[in-house]
Amino acid sequence: MKLRAIELTNLRRFAGRRAVLSDLGDGITVLSEPNEFGKSTFFDALHALFFERHRSSRAPVKALQPHAGGAPEVAVEIESTQGRFRIHKRFLSRAQARITDAQGRLIAQEDEAEAWIDRLLDGGLAGPSGLLWVRQGLLGLEPEGNSAADRQDRDRNLGTRRDLLSSVAGEIDMMTGGRRMDAVLDRVGQEMARLATATGRPRAGGEWQRAIEEAERLSRAETEARDKAARLSGDLARRSEVTRMLARVTDPEAARARQAALTQAEEAHQAARKHADRLAQAERDLTLARMAETTARQQIDQTRQLSDRVTQARETLRLAEARAVAARDRAEALALRDAQAAEAHRQAGEVARDLRGRLSRAQQARLALAARSRMADLTHRLDRAQALQAQLHADRAQRARLTITPKAMARLDQAQTVLDRLDARAEAQAVIIEFHADGPLATLADGTAVEGAWAVPGRMHVTLPGFGAISVDPGSGRGAQLAADLGQAQRDVARALQDCGAADLADARDRLNRATRLDDALRQGAQALDDLAPQGLDALHEALALATAEAADAPADAEDAAVLEPLLTAADTAEAQAQAQSRSAHEAATAAGEARADAEGERRSAERALADVLAEAGSLDDLAARLDALAATLPDLSARSAEAARLCATLSDAAPDLTTAQAALSRATSAAEQARRDAETMERDLAALNTRIALLAEEGIEETLDELSGQRAEAQARADRYAAEMAALTRLRDTLEQARTRQRDAYFKPVVRELQPLLSILHPGAALQIDDQTLLPHALTRDGQAEPLDILSGGTREQVAILTRLAFARLFAQAGRPVPVILDDALVHTDDDRIEAMFTALHRVATDQQVLVLTCRQRAFQSLGGTRAHVRIEDL
Amino acid sequence: MTFRFLHASDLHLGKPFGGYPEGIRNRLREARHAAIGRLAQAARQGGAQVVLLAGDSFDAETPAPDTLRQALRAMAEEADIRWIMLPGNHDSLAATELWRRIATDGPANLKPLLDDSPVTLADDVWLLPAPCTQRRAGRDLTQAMDAATPQGARRIGLGHGPVTDFDEGDGRTGIIPPDRAARSGLDYLALGDWHGQRQIGPATWYSGAPEADSFKHDGPAGALLVELGAQMTARAVPVGQFRWTRPHLDLLPGADVRAALTRALPTERARDHLVSVTAGGRLALSDRAALDAALQAAAPDYGWFAADLSALQVEARPDDLDLIDRAGALRHAADALLADTTDPQRSQADRDISAAALSRLYSFAQEVQA
Repeated sequence: MKLRAIELTNLRRFAGRRAVLSDLGDGITVLSEPNEFGKSTFFDALHALFFERHRSSRAPVKALQPHAGGAPEVAVEIESTQGRFRIHKRFLSRAQARITDAQGRLIAQEDEAEAWIDRLLDGGLAGPSGLLWVRQGLLGLEPEGNSAADRQDRDRNLGTRRDLLSSVAGEIDMMTGGRRMDAVLDRVGQEMARLATATGRPRAGGEWQRAIEEAERLSRAETEARDKAARLSGDLARRSEVTRMLARVTDPEAARARQAALTQAEEAHQAARKHADRLAQAERDLTLARMAETTARQQIDQTRQLSDRVTQARETLRLAEARAVAARDRAEALALRDAQAAEAHRQAGEVARDLRGRLSRAQQARLALAARSRMADLTHRLDRAQALQAQLHADRAQRARLTITPKAMARLDQAQTVLDRLDARAEAQAVIIEFHADGPLATLADGTAVEGAWAVPGRMHVTLPGFGAISVDPGSGRGAQLAADLGQAQRDVARALQDCGAADLADARDRLNRATRLDDALRQGAQALDDLAPQGLDALHEALALATAEAADAPADAEDAAVLEPLLTAADTAEAQAQAQSRSAHEAATAAGEARADAEGERRSAERALADVLAEAGSLDDLAARLDALAATLPDLSARSAEAARLCATLSDAAPDLTTAQAALSRATSAAEQARRDAETMERDLAALNTRIALLAEEGIEETLDELSGQRAEAQARADRYAAEMAALTRLRDTLEQARTRQRDAYFKPVVRELQPLLSILHPGAALQIDDQTLLPHALTRDGQAEPLDILSGGTREQVAILTRLAFARLFAQAGRPVPVILDDALVHTDDDRIEAMFTALHRVATDQQVLVLTCRQRAFQSLGGTRAHVRIEDL
Repeated sequence: MTFRFLHASDLHLGKPFGGYPEGIRNRLREARHAAIGRLAQAARQGGAQVVLLAGDSFDAETPAPDTLRQALRAMAEEADIRWIMLPGNHDSLAATELWRRIATDGPANLKPLLDDSPVTLADDVWLLPAPCTQRRAGRDLTQAMDAATPQGARRIGLGHGPVTDFDEGDGRTGIIPPDRAARSGLDYLALGDWHGQRQIGPATWYSGAPEADSFKHDGPAGALLVELGAQMTARAVPVGQFRWTRPHLDLLPGADVRAALTRALPTERARDHLVSVTAGGRLALSDRAALDAALQAAAPDYGWFAADLSALQVEARPDDLDLIDRAGALRHAADALLADTTDPQRSQADRDISAAALSRLYSFAQEVQA
């Protein structure tokens, strides 16, 4: 349906008049009029025409009445697929509804007209107007109030949207599964919640968790039982083994065998022992025989050795005596040489000492001579220095009296120059009196005798004695100033002279010259003094005193040091040589003395050694006799040794191995002992094993273990089944939710397809999320962040509301049910930039969509474009 | 003269059946104990006075005191029966404590065979035992059956262990030569170890356990009544209280699963049955749900009931998925899950999860519809 004209008669502010809005074209039509013009009246009238019965007296109808009363009338020319029609309704008084065609033929009236209108809107009161007609002040997507009317509006609009989307995309419930899907998901959720928590873990206290815990508990019990069974099994095996071993050990036959072995070992050991004893005895005898023989041989050797030693000692003594004599002779010779060398050294020393003394005196005399020479020089210098000092003193005093400085001189010069200049000026300016007396006449100017010409610097009284006086007054002005300046200059000069301490300039110059000369003289004098006495006059005095003392110290009989020095050098050399020789001789003598003492010592030792040997051996003859006697006993002793050895060999060959017999006896003994101990130990072990086995066996541990194993396997299988069940339910839940989401997205695709491009014009990159229940956008996503619409700015919400309506309008158009979009003072919160973007969006839609824009913002909407509509007001 | 005896083995008294719920577990244990009485009764009914127990009378080397004592007392109470007990591999001679206790507490009518010496059972009837010395002796103990007996005497061998030409499948290789009876001149060789009744040779038998203890052997548990007369005969005598059965269903889409299940399940004495149902083939979702329901309905009738449907594939048809939803998100989800179940990129475990999820979806969709 498209609107072509709207006519209001006697409606609100158009009381008694007709307001016609005609030539509404396709696309955008803008009615731009100021506030209070009545734009919303058009809106309300349209609304009433389509949605209020002509006989209605409800508030929306009553609100159309002008103050003056009367019956409001609304007429609309529309164009639908069936053609062009005029719908007219009159409300309140003589209510009426008429439908006429383009030719003015009556199509329907009264209730039939209402029915015709309902059909036109294809859904009656649940038409799209609420969807698409943005009432002034309506910010959001739908009426927000809680009144019954608002709720009714919302329900109607939802129904319209649902119908629209159903016609385009299909029923949402059909697509997403609706309540049935919800119910199935609920069932899945219930089953999952029975077994697990929200994170998919077994729920505490639930069947799955219980099965897991049971399996774990049984596993632990099984492990425990298995350990016990293993221990029991081990004990049983051990007991069998111990029993077997004990039987072996306690076997009587074995015992008898052990005893027999022991007896046999003892006997063998006994026999071996006896034989060993006999052998030991034979060996002892052999040893004795051999010892006797050896002793005899040793004695023979000893005797021979003694004899040799005596001979040797005598020879040693002889040699020692010879050496001692030689050493003595040598020592004596060297001692003599030592004495001689010492004497030579002493003499050389005396000569040197004498020379040293003489040289010292000679040096002393030389020093005194030098001192005298120094004395003369020092005296001269001292005299000069003293004179210079006195001069300096005088010059300084003089200089002190001259206070003039070059600066003071300069000032004086300057003052004088000024004065001279001023004088010259005064002179130039001065009144000159020139008087030549004809006779001798004294002339006094201010009491001073003058003659010839003189200047009159100021008031002057000239006296001619005897004649009278003339007062001369050159006048004030320049002269006075000049006089003042002159006076000042003169005072300046006088001060400068005073500073210089001079009477006048020449004197000052002279004083300055003198001061300068004195300064030079003082400088030079100080330098000269410094040259003469660098350390001062006191130092000079001291040096002089020292030199004087040295000079007085000269010995009487001094010789020439130059002659004595070489002699002393030679004497020193000789003394040193003598000393060296003496030392060397002394060392040699000392060494010889020691050697002599050593030789003597050796001789005495040899003497003692001989004495000792002789004491031991007696005489050589005694020794020989002894030797013979010993040699005679030797053959017999040898024979006896041989016999004893033969006996030993025989016994040894036949000897049984005692060690082996001993070992056999030990083994047999220890075997018997070990068997006894083993038996004891095994019996103890057996008792302990029996006790343990009895305890465990009473428990029936193997049966318990088998039972637990089976139970554990069963519990584990149960837990696994629950896990598989959860996996299946989880898979089911995920698959259902994914399917639902995909279907939902498919359902909203047509809306999104229309809405997204429009949204991009205003908010590039943004996307709207649509609510399943209301089928309206509920959140705006920008930069990955989803924001609910109700927290967005008024401007954004307003834009979203309008764009949504435009999108739905396009869907209606696609469904073959075009409906105009009417915007009554919309976009009040939108900024200028976005308004421009909205205009673009409107134009985009308006290519195949009628949009009627009512606005009071003429300037803002200037750039919207579209067709400007005008209301024609006619009087009735 | 005819000599009769009952040949039994593998009582495994005290076997705990830990993997089973408490109720059935206790009943199974009790049944093993009660087998003693039933064996005695079977012997009496067969005219036998001797029961040969060919090993593994006890499940553990150290059974619980009550297990042992009550068994010995039960045997004692069958005073007209002579019990000959051979150590098997579970209760070998190495279980010295057990045999010590049997020696101490055993009744007069119980003869434990603690060595391989021949034992006289009756006039001219000799028993040649080969008791297990260890859990795994590692050699042929039945060689002892070559021992000499009086001329003309009947020779009965009593042994325990696997025969060389087949193995139990538990890693033990066979030890006893299948022709032991012939080799050692035995009139009959009574063997234990195999829990199912089985004839090895003309005169060689495994009696099987008198009370079944697993799904391995399907036939009824019992003993053998052996008669040595002019000829040797051995007759099976059912003794067991519980039957362990493993019915298998091969299913295809469209099968009547309820009927198939009913046919497969035992009908009599359900309470004394342990049933482990397996299923293979393919089923539509709805049929799978029907099978689940039928199994769930049948289970409480039996002593123990389990179903393993892991080999059963779900074949979801459009009708099935339509029952979830014809279109919309529910249908999309069902399609996605179905695609996952046949996706070769996914692991088998993953595909199983998707299949289970699809079954749940089907069930829940039916539920909320209702």
